[in-house]
Formats: sequence, C-alpha cells, structure tokens
Amino acid sequence: MTAPQRMSVKFYFDELSVDVEEFIPVFHRWIRENVVPNELLLDVADYKHIIDGPAILLVGHEADYVIDLTDGKPGFLYVRKRDLGVDLPEALATTLAQALNSIRLAETDVELQGKLKLRTDAAKIVLLDRLNYPNQTPNGSGSNDAGQTAQSQLAENLGVLFGENVTVTRVENDAREPLTFELNAPAAPDVDTLLGRL
Amino acid sequence: MANIGWKDILAEEMPLDMAHEIDIFEGQMELMGQGKLDEKVFAETRLRRGVYGQRYDNGQRHDGFESRELEFEEIERIKGPDTIWHAPGMQRIKVPGGGLTAEQLDVLAQVADEYSDGILHVTTRQDFQLHFVHIEDTPDMMRRLASVGITTREACGNSVRNVTCCHLAGVCQTEVFDATPYSEAFAQFLLGHDDVQDFGRKFKPAFSGCESEACGLVMMHDLGYLAQVREVDGKQQRGFKVYVGGGLGTVPHQAKVLSEFTPEEEILPEAQAVSRVFARLGEKRNRNRARIKFLVAKLGIEEFRRLVIEERKTLPHDDRWTAYLETLPHYEEKPTRPPTFLNGQVSSAGFQQWFETNVYAQRQEGYSVVTVNLPLGDLTSQQTWVLSDIARKYVGDNVRTTVEQNIVLRWVSDSDLPSLYEELNAIGLGDAGAGTVVDITACPGTDTCKLGIASSRGLAAELRTRLTAKSASLPDAIKDLKIKISGCFNSCGQHHVSDIGFFGNSRRSGNFKMPHFQVVLGGMWRENAGSYGLAVGAVPSKTVPDVVDTITSRYVEERAKGETFQEWIGRIGKKEARSLIQPYMKLPDFEQQPDYFSDWGDPRVFSLGDIGIGECAGEVVSLFSMEIATAESEAFEAQVALDENDPARADSLAYASMVKAARALVRTQFLDVGDSPDRIVEEFKTRFFDTELFFDQYAKGKFGQYLFDRHQSPNPSPDNDAAHRLIEESLLFIEATHVCESKVGGNVLIEI
Ligand code: SF4
Repeated sequence: MTAPQRMSVKFYFDELSVDVEEFIPVFHRWIRENVVPNELLLDVADYKHIIDGPAILLVGHEADYVIDLTDGKPGFLYVRKRDLGVDLPEALATTLAQALNSIRLAETDVELQGKLKLRTDAAKIVLLDRLNYPNQTPNGSGSNDAGQTAQSQLAENLGVLFGENVTVTRVENDAREPLTFELNAPAAPDVDTLLGRL
Repeated sequence: MANIGWKDILAEEMPLDMAHEIDIFEGQMELMGQGKLDEKVFAETRLRRGVYGQRYDNGQRHDGFESRELEFEEIERIKGPDTIWHAPGMQRIKVPGGGLTAEQLDVLAQVADEYSDGILHVTTRQDFQLHFVHIEDTPDMMRRLASVGITTREACGNSVRNVTCCHLAGVCQTEVFDATPYSEAFAQFLLGHDDVQDFGRKFKPAFSGCESEACGLVMMHDLGYLAQVREVDGKQQRGFKVYVGGGLGTVPHQAKVLSEFTPEEEILPEAQAVSRVFARLGEKRNRNRARIKFLVAKLGIEEFRRLVIEERKTLPHDDRWTAYLETLPHYEEKPTRPPTFLNGQVSSAGFQQWFETNVYAQRQEGYSVVTVNLPLGDLTSQQTWVLSDIARKYVGDNVRTTVEQNIVLRWVSDSDLPSLYEELNAIGLGDAGAGTVVDITACPGTDTCKLGIASSRGLAAELRTRLTAKSASLPDAIKDLKIKISGCFNSCGQHHVSDIGFFGNSRRSGNFKMPHFQVVLGGMWRENAGSYGLAVGAVPSKTVPDVVDTITSRYVEERAKGETFQEWIGRIGKKEARSLIQPYMKLPDFEQQPDYFSDWGDPRVFSLGDIGIGECAGEVVSLFSMEIATAESEAFEAQVALDENDPARADSLAYASMVKAARALVRTQFLDVGDSPDRIVEEFKTRFFDTELFFDQYAKGKFGQYLFDRHQSPNPSPDNDAAHRLIEESLLFIEATHVCESKVGGNVLIEI
C-alpha cells in the first residue's frame, strides 16, 4: 500500500510529574540545539488552553511533536508529515523510529529526567490520509477496505518489533475521523531494544 | 494508470467555477516552480487564494540568543519576496457572515488534521485560519472545501475581505430586519467582480441589523450597512443606512455616513460605484494611506458622496443588482426541533452559570442562541466533528462564527439547553463566560504573525486563566467588560473598541528589549463600535494582569451608579487614567527581573528579530501582471488537458487564454471592457491591432491574427494536432501581449 500522506503514533505516559507548560522551554531548547537528526524543528505552539486536545506542540518541517491530552489519555504524539517513504511499512518504520527516538530524548532530557516515563506496550497509530486510507467500515460501502489491508500490514510489521503476540486493533471511530489503530503488546520492551529491532 | 486524486474524486461535487480557479492556482504554483512567474505576481496570486505567509517563513528565527537560519530544503525556492517555498504558512478560509453547515464543519475538521496542526482558529472577521500549512497541500485543501461550497478566494490580498454580519441576525430581539440575505448577496456579487480587482488595499464590509448593539461593528468598517425601514406612500420600504471609511489599524477612523437610506435594490450598485471610486482615486503606492478611510478623509464625505452618485449613473445595468430580492420572501432558517420551554428541568450548577452568559433568548419564543465559548478562538478537529453532530442533532445547519472568535448554535429549542450544555461540556466546549471579561479576543500575534511584536495570545491565555479562577467573585461591573488584545498596532485584535485594550510594542532597558503592551482604555463595543479608546501608556507585558486588577478595582470603587466603564474613563480623563498605570511603567534591569524580558508562553529572551515583512499590504504589481498571469495559467492548463488526451478542452482553454491576455491588455486602457469575448476581441482589434501597436517587427500582425482566427472560426472537433497548434499560438500571442504592454506601458497599479 502506498505510504499515507501523514501518519502519527502516540505513546502514553506511564508517569508524568511535570506540568505540560514545562515542555515549552524544553522544546525551545531542542530547536536551538537541533537535537533531532534529519528533521528541521521550527517553533513551539502553546495550546494548553484547549481542554482535551494537544497541549504543547513542537512544530517541525518533517514532523510535529505533541504533548497530547486528547481523550483524557496524556501521551507523547509524533506526527510525521513529510518524507514517509514509498509504502506503508516504510512509513511505519520511519514514524516509529523517530517517535521512539523522541521518547528517548524526552526521558533523558536534562530538565525532564525522572519526571516522565512512557509506556511502550501500547500506542495509537493514525493514518492521516483520507484519500488513500478512507475510514470505511469493513461492511461499509467501499469494496476495497483500505483499513483491513492496512491493519494486516501494520500487524505484520509491528509483530517483528513488539513480538508475535502483539495485537493491532482497528478503532471503531466515526468515518469522518482518520483510520486509527490501537497497538497492544504483552510486554513493554525498552526504547533502545525497539530501536535496535527497527 | 495515473493516481486518482481529490481533483478526480470531487470533480462532480465542486462548483465548476471554483474547480477551475483552483486548477488555475495549481498551474500557477507549477509555473512559479519553473521560474516562469514573477515572484510578486505569484505572491499576489496566492494571497488572493487566502494562502498567507507566517512567521519565520523568511528562513530566520531568533532562538533567544541569536538569529539562526532555518535550513529548509531548496532554500532558494520562494513563493514571494523573501518567503521560502517550503516554509509553512497560514490558510485563511472565508465564511461569509460566519454561516456554516454541519457538513462544512466536518470538512473543515478534516482538512485541519490532514494539512494543518489539527487546530481550527476563528478570527475576528468570522473567518477560519489554519496554521503551519504547506503550500503544496493548498490546492487539494481548497478542492475539499469547495466540495462543500467554501471558497478561500479573496480571503487575503487587496480585495473585498470576508463580509461580516451579526451572528444574531434573524433571531435578534432588537433588529430592524434580518440582514443575512443582503450580506450574502453582497458577498456573492463582489466576489471576483472586475471592479474590485484594482484596490490599493483591503476592503472590509459589514452588515448589522440594528444601531444600538455591537454585533455588526459597522462604524469600524470600510463599508458598513445598518438595517432601516422607512415608509413610502404608506408602504414599508427596506433599506440601509450606509457608512464608509471606518477602520482600525494604526490610525482608527470612525466611518462617515454615505447615505442615510439606501433602498434595498440600490445597495449593490451603490457598492459597485464605491468600489470604482476607491479603485480609481484611492492611494496605490503608499500602502500606509491606501485604505478607503484615507480617501474619504482626503476628499471629505460630501465630495466622496458626490463622486459615488456620479459613478452610479454611469454603471451599465446588471441584473444581479436586484435578482436576489426575488428570493427574499422565501428566505428563512428552519429549526430542526419544535419550540419548547425550560420548565424547571433539573440541571447542574455548571449549567446555571453557563446559561446566564452563553444563552440568548431569540425573538422567536421557545428558541435560544447558544454561544460556544472557544478559548482564544481555537477548537480541535476532534471537537469540531462532535460539534457538527451536536449541531445536526439540535439545530441543523444553523451555525455561525462570531467576530468575538466564538461559534453560535441558533434555534436551540429551549428544553434542549441542559442536554446540549452537557454534550458541549463533554468535549471541553462548555466554558461559561461568553461575551464577558473572560472571553478575551486576541489576534495571532507573535505566535504566527510575521508582524507580531508581543504575544497577544500568550497574554490572553494568562488573563483568561486568572480571571476565570476568580470569576465567581468578580463584581458585575467587571464581568461585563471587554478585553481585546493585538500583537502590534495593526489592531487585528480590535483593541480600539474594547473597554480595556492592549497592543504590543517594546521598550529598551539596558541592553535588552522588553515586551510591552500599550494600554488603551474606554473604547466602545456597543453601538456598532461606537467610539475608540484612549491610549494611556505602555507597560511591561508581564505586568498586564496586575494592571488589569488595578484598573478594574479603581473602577469598581469609584464608579457612580450605572456609570459605564467608558463614562468613567471619560470622567477621570487621560491624565488620571495614565496615573493608574504609572507605577507599572518603570522598567527593571535584566538582572533584577529577568522574566520581564521574555514574553508570555515563550521563554526565549525577547527580541524583535523575528518580525518580517507583512503581507497584508504586500507588493505593488500592475493589474496587467496579475491578469496576464491568469492567462498564462490558462495556457498551462491547456497543455495539461492535451497531456490528458482531451483536445477539445485543450482547444477551449488555449482560446480562453488568448482572450484573457487580450483582455488584460485592453484593460490597461479601458477598465470596463467586461467579459464578453466578442467585445474583448473588438476592443483589442481597434486599440492594439488596427493601430499596429501589437505588431511584431518581423511577424507583423501574425500573433494577433491567431486570436481572430480562433475567435471567428472555432474548430468543432479539434484533434490533438489542432489543439497542440492552438496552444503554441496562444503562447506566442501571450508573449506578444507582454511585449506590447511594455511598449505602451500599462499604468494601472494594484497592491496586495
Ligand atoms: S495586530 Fe499585528 S500581530 Fe496581530 S495579527 Fe494583526 S498584524 Fe499580526
């Protein structure tokens, strides 16, 4: 399947003992120190006034990094916007690699160290591309359900990373929303292990 | 097989003219990429599609220590002067009168999460803005919007901007009549109209249903309409009191009365006449004096009025002036539920508070307007599609944005109010306080605006948090005050017409700059922005919450019974008002108070280094350059059609490109040539061909003959070869048009 136009992955916080506001100076420093290889970081947007949404956004050219409070589930969201590769597996590999890298950056950051921990046994994956990945229900009007194909490709590729007992479940959201999957793994491998497997 | 895109998928759903305009814009993007379009012309083109610049798009960003280059790929590729192609920008989306359907909300939410950062921002002109948008995504975004009837055309640039209208029009207790259908007709009539293509600056119209309330704000508009009814021969006649030449900006002007009563059938021709006078006599080169308010001030309202009346007499008749009036008797909004009453249903404490501030009883019994209070005008994609479902359930398509950056749901059946509140609250949109002191208006400021000096949104968020925390204990006199904040003197946050207004500036202390806000007191929101506030002095940004406390406490202590904030400020005078803020005006050193040297929500040491060149008043380019660029795009589209093996379409586009080029040339001498190909060709022949001005030194009249041949003898079934030939001819014709224009010198200038 062709690479989606955009793809995001959100890992949830296991621990978060800092106010979201404290990410603002951290993200500004990340821009200044150019900490993400191969990505151009541009600016920080403060949306903490929005209830149940993105709180602090580190905007980049290739990707955005978001401290995201949507659905009452605080997490670190990585949104890949450009250069996703040619197909879905490649897009997944790029997105996951950079998302995991950013988790490592956050967990080891001088100002954040010890104040947050992210779970790696669960994540939300979203394909932000309604043209190539319309969110039709399996029994819906679309004969070619991109969702089903994407689900099996994701499961296959994530199995290599998180172990064969990983489950990838399609979220039964509204057809207007993007195609969304929940990943659940029986164990929580550490970030370096996951990156090593990529 | 070629990839199927939104263009193909939505082909049947987009109005043809919108689809074509977007194709043309996409073609112009491609031409720009090939270096075949002038950068200023392209900048104007994209602005007229609502594709705006955003902070840092010149590739520079101050990181608190120094200004650094942002290393975009293809750094030399630009989309306008000093504007890097790959830098993200802002997309403005026009919403005439703020009117939205549930389906439109769905699509807005989708384009926001696929092309932007998932946040929809409501502006003070009832538009939406999306930020961090890549220019290459804009054509598909526009197609998706067009498929539900939304255009971005003329959302920016020197054009007629979004036509605003009271969000209560049609349901208001105090209106004379519903101004909505008039504002809609006005917006449609002037969209893309020939007579509004040559303005020196932007032009903002507004409609209001009554004189006493604020919603329409006609007094601060370039052209404003107040609904009136008069009696003629025992019959009621509808019309408008018309104001012209108002505006905020650096130098606010109160509008002048152009006409005490313009009957309904005359409002469109009169607006056309105003447009012509403005286009002809308005300042073009000095952008700081190019708004219509300066022309009205220069000529005086009597002379301006005389010119408009004279111009009106010369206008060729247009059926559209009155065609819409036939539909007026059938114009109505339909509620989705029958009227009901709130009869002591059990409801939460939160509901009571929300009900007091966010619910307006409509003129129609049993119905209310609910204001969805959006913090800083923002809502997420996810909130938006739940909101669209809420709208479907309770009010259908009766949704509008407001100039106070909120959304209203109209025609809510009263007994639905408690459940509606709970549903809004569940998605974080149940905040009380709409229209009160906590509902602060702020422009984008330094968050995204290239001209921003200080963080208007950061300050607004801080004030909102602090005031909300103590809102229960705030005296009523304070609760109803309006706070509005602009990031610079350009006034997009409308600070001039608030009780307590602020606009961003800066001061130096030692070797450092400190973000400041100028305090503007006593402006009037009511009576259609009845009067402007008084600037009393600038204070450090970080002191503003204390400044607000000081001012409001003094007001509560000293106000006479029933005395409004404006009256109180008027009574104490500027000197005393200044003395209120004097204690805050002293500047500490960096060492004493380092946090004063950074702005709200931004820890970087403050700098003015990120201010770029704004695009609100962009580039001076000739009208010819703009129009010939459209002709070139049409020729480009013809080539695309030929590549797609559609010779008939290629032929017709190539012909259209020649007609457009001829029209561009004719309009350097004769603006009113109109759209008829016969007329254009005739005028071209008389003015440029017969006079041999169009002749090439060697080819003589050959290129002009291409146009005449195709015009007189269209090929009923062109094959690929014939279409190809015509495309070649159209390109030569366009080239010759350029040469001719530079020979004779077009003299009609426009600014973005
Ligand atoms: S007031 Fe100034 S900072 Fe605010 S949006 Fe307008 S130009 Fe930008």
